[in-house]
Amino acid sequence: MVEVSADIPITTKKGGVMKAYFRPIKRREFIKKSMAGGTFLATVPLWKLFSYSLPPPDLTSNLPIDLDKETLDKLLAIALQNGGEFAEVYVEYNVSNSIGLDENKIRAATRGVDMGVGIRVLQGEKTGYAHTDDLSPEKLEETARIAGLIASGNRKEQSISLKERDIPNYYLVKTSPDSIIPQDKAKLLWKANSVAREYDKRINQVGVGFGDINKKIIIANSEGIFVTDHQTISRLSVSASALENGRRSRGYAYKGGTLGYEHYDLQIAEEIAKEAGRVTMAMLPAEDAPAGEYPIVLAKGDCGTFFHEAIGHSLEGDGARKKTTCFWDKKGKTIATKMVSLADDGTVPGARGSINVDDEGTPGQKNILIENGLCTGFLYDNLNAKLMGTQSTGNGRRESYQHYPIPRMTNTYLMAGKDDPEDILRSVKKGIYIAKIGGGNVSPTTGRFVFSVPEGYMIDSGKITTPLKGIQLMGNGPDVLMNITMVAPDLEIWGGGTCGKDGQGKPVSDGNPTLKVAKITIGGAKVQG
Amino acid sequence: MSHKDIAEKVVKEALTLGVDEAEAYLESSREFNLEVRNGDVETVKQSATKGIGLTVYKDNKFGFSYTSDLSSESLREFTKRTIQLAEVADPKSWNGLPDYGQEEKQWDMDLWDPSIFEIENSKKIDTAKKVEKSALAYDKRITKSYGASFSDGESETIIVNSKGISRSCKTTSVGFGVSVIAGEGNNMQSSGWSSTKRHFKDLENIESVAKKAGRRTVEKLGAKPVATTKVPVVVDRYAAGAFWYGLLFAMDGDSVFKKTTFLTDYLGKPVASELITIADNPTIPRHMGSVPFDGEGKITKENTLVANGILKMFIYDSITARKAGVNVNTITQRGGYKSSPFGNFLNVIVKNGNISREKIIEGIVDGFYVTGLRGIGTDIPTGNYSVGASGFWIKNGEIAFPVDGVTLGGNTAEILKNIVLVADDLDMRGNLNSPSFKVSELAVGGK
Repeated sequence: MVEVSADIPITTKKGGVMKAYFRPIKRREFIKKSMAGGTFLATVPLWKLFSYSLPPPDLTSNLPIDLDKETLDKLLAIALQNGGEFAEVYVEYNVSNSIGLDENKIRAATRGVDMGVGIRVLQGEKTGYAHTDDLSPEKLEETARIAGLIASGNRKEQSISLKERDIPNYYLVKTSPDSIIPQDKAKLLWKANSVAREYDKRINQVGVGFGDINKKIIIANSEGIFVTDHQTISRLSVSASALENGRRSRGYAYKGGTLGYEHYDLQIAEEIAKEAGRVTMAMLPAEDAPAGEYPIVLAKGDCGTFFHEAIGHSLEGDGARKKTTCFWDKKGKTIATKMVSLADDGTVPGARGSINVDDEGTPGQKNILIENGLCTGFLYDNLNAKLMGTQSTGNGRRESYQHYPIPRMTNTYLMAGKDDPEDILRSVKKGIYIAKIGGGNVSPTTGRFVFSVPEGYMIDSGKITTPLKGIQLMGNGPDVLMNITMVAPDLEIWGGGTCGKDGQGKPVSDGNPTLKVAKITIGGAKVQG
Repeated sequence: MSHKDIAEKVVKEALTLGVDEAEAYLESSREFNLEVRNGDVETVKQSATKGIGLTVYKDNKFGFSYTSDLSSESLREFTKRTIQLAEVADPKSWNGLPDYGQEEKQWDMDLWDPSIFEIENSKKIDTAKKVEKSALAYDKRITKSYGASFSDGESETIIVNSKGISRSCKTTSVGFGVSVIAGEGNNMQSSGWSSTKRHFKDLENIESVAKKAGRRTVEKLGAKPVATTKVPVVVDRYAAGAFWYGLLFAMDGDSVFKKTTFLTDYLGKPVASELITIADNPTIPRHMGSVPFDGEGKITKENTLVANGILKMFIYDSITARKAGVNVNTITQRGGYKSSPFGNFLNVIVKNGNISREKIIEGIVDGFYVTGLRGIGTDIPTGNYSVGASGFWIKNGEIAFPVDGVTLGGNTAEILKNIVLVADDLDMRGNLNSPSFKVSELAVGGK
């Protein structure tokens, strides 16, 4: 059974900063479960425990994009007139707000509105896609016709009956951030600014920002799916830099997710600012990182990007179908040590990558990609699933109405293990401690990656010592999976960013417990010997 | 109403509602893209987008918003909301439009090719199919196609402000390319090549693109890391862009003002070997990186950034320059109608040297020829340089074997000073163009 801790979205770690949206299981429960050798699966749909089913008030009614069932029916029929097998209309209305403070001044508040309709037609492996931001009936019909040109043949008789679908809710949104006036958001920024500046005199630059994206999407397709979803993503971030005797350092911290404005207050702003200050000051005396091969320990929670980039992208279904990823023929085979179980989970309440439905109308799901070292499957959208003779895993995602969906991750995390975090550290004589992982990129073909590390330290005889700058982690995904030798039970899922693939950006999150990689190449400026 | 009329109307309306200054930036574009894989059309995509971004200044306060809904009644509401946003911002004495107006005349850089609208769909499909087929046939070790594509597009940019600027510009682009995979199992490599131009006639021919895609993929097969060492490094012209980004980002005027770039104290001083001269020149006719006016509506011209190793300028927009109190040439870019202009280079050209790349390699006993850099690598505040790299090992003046999974490490300023040779192989492809060059010594991190 699953226990859910009472203090739902917020738990704290070092420095008191909010770190996790929720804990699915208490720590002891984690250990027990993993000792039994199993992965945990929720038996109660978690969303029921967090159900705020009312959509944000701002995006509910009277939008220019609220196409009725009749119009959608008609567009689908036009799209299929050349004999396409599948047609879909995706309607989007998107309001984004941002407000930023730097140099002790509110720089600007900005607002943007994007709206449009994308129409897709599939025939076999072929995709036709056209979109427009002109919502006149003539333009919409023309767009449907252009999308349909991909198909060749005669129109098949299909009757479409659109039925509105109920969907679960994984977003933690009571108050839409779009309904908050910029003056109120500014108060959070001022608080964070003063706390970060007071953290240490050597901090000479502070930037604070609050941003939110509020979307309404409507999806209708020729298989009868008809869903509406209101999506909210928000983030409060603080960056700081310090200067002392020509040495410079930077630090960054934030809180964000599919969260309503009720998740932000002055207290949270203070905690985030302190964390940004802590990282900045910790990195000020940093020394050049060594180059060469070392064991590394990854800190819980802050290093999930690594699994997203280095492993997750190679387990996306388009690559598997096209045989262009290093894992395409590895289903059912061992690709990692027994310690490794990897999940992609669109149902983590409040997490940045969570989705009630994906951008094809399939409900968000929890998918196990690697189980105790065995590759158990790939992430699919409708098209790739169909061509591979399987079902969508709820991972058909698109940046906006201007894009067609492709397999994408949601919240990707390495699942909990059973090694004590202290033991993990103690097992390393000379190595590198990665407290936070930064940006990275990977070639899904070879699995080869490189990551920067904004906060990292030497490990000497099991103890975290000198802070290091310029650490680059390099290697390839398959090798790292076979070198993960210890995994702790302290899984944390949080944070995340925007993942880019095929020119489409999409919000994602990730997570990991404390873990050890027995050896990995570190690129740094200091060459030993 | 034409798009220019809409932009002018929005500016006028904002002034009527009481702002001091206003600027409207309107962009509309159409793009077509098709992808072929294994000889079949896989996707056809047509997109049509447009939108307007409005900047207002009232009592030195800044407000910005954008919308893709260009109907008259929505635009009135949009203008009002933009002014409300300005209310929350703090006044800054340096806020405001650029000081200049419409003084300079715009000239035609030949960036518009109407012949791209006459290309039949069947020809586009045919081009993509042919380039894929030829690339797959280039070498037996090429096992799979990653896909071939053909795309074309047109876009119109309009900028109107209350200082009298009213400019518009239309551009086209057309291109095709292919990516392939060589090898099997744990020894797979992918690469590709493409050609994109303003004019259809300027495109590379199909065979040449296919060959380059094939060669670039096959030659990477069997790449492996080397042991950590310090050696001379040659950076290939097509990989060099990623390196120069580090230097160019560090030249950002606002970062200089905030002292958050390692270049803060370098103006007028040597920043690189005297072999290095870098210009920003977005005025080359028909070139992809060319634009007649910049993000603030100013007529573009050539600016020297680095002359014989001496740092000549930082890159400011009007606001950051005013804030820093400097009187300089601004160079600004715009990320479409959804963003405000910001100081950034437009089309960078690193000047050719006078030795061939082959000769440079011949002169190296033990070294690393870098053809791929994974990321920019420069930490702007410190100049620390650390990046993933791939390429070829050089042994006794010849390419010995492919290398991957290594890092280059050092300090950007030091690397720049250690450039000892610049090749004569400049190839203008995009907005960051460089010849190959040799660095006397660099740390290579490997096994």
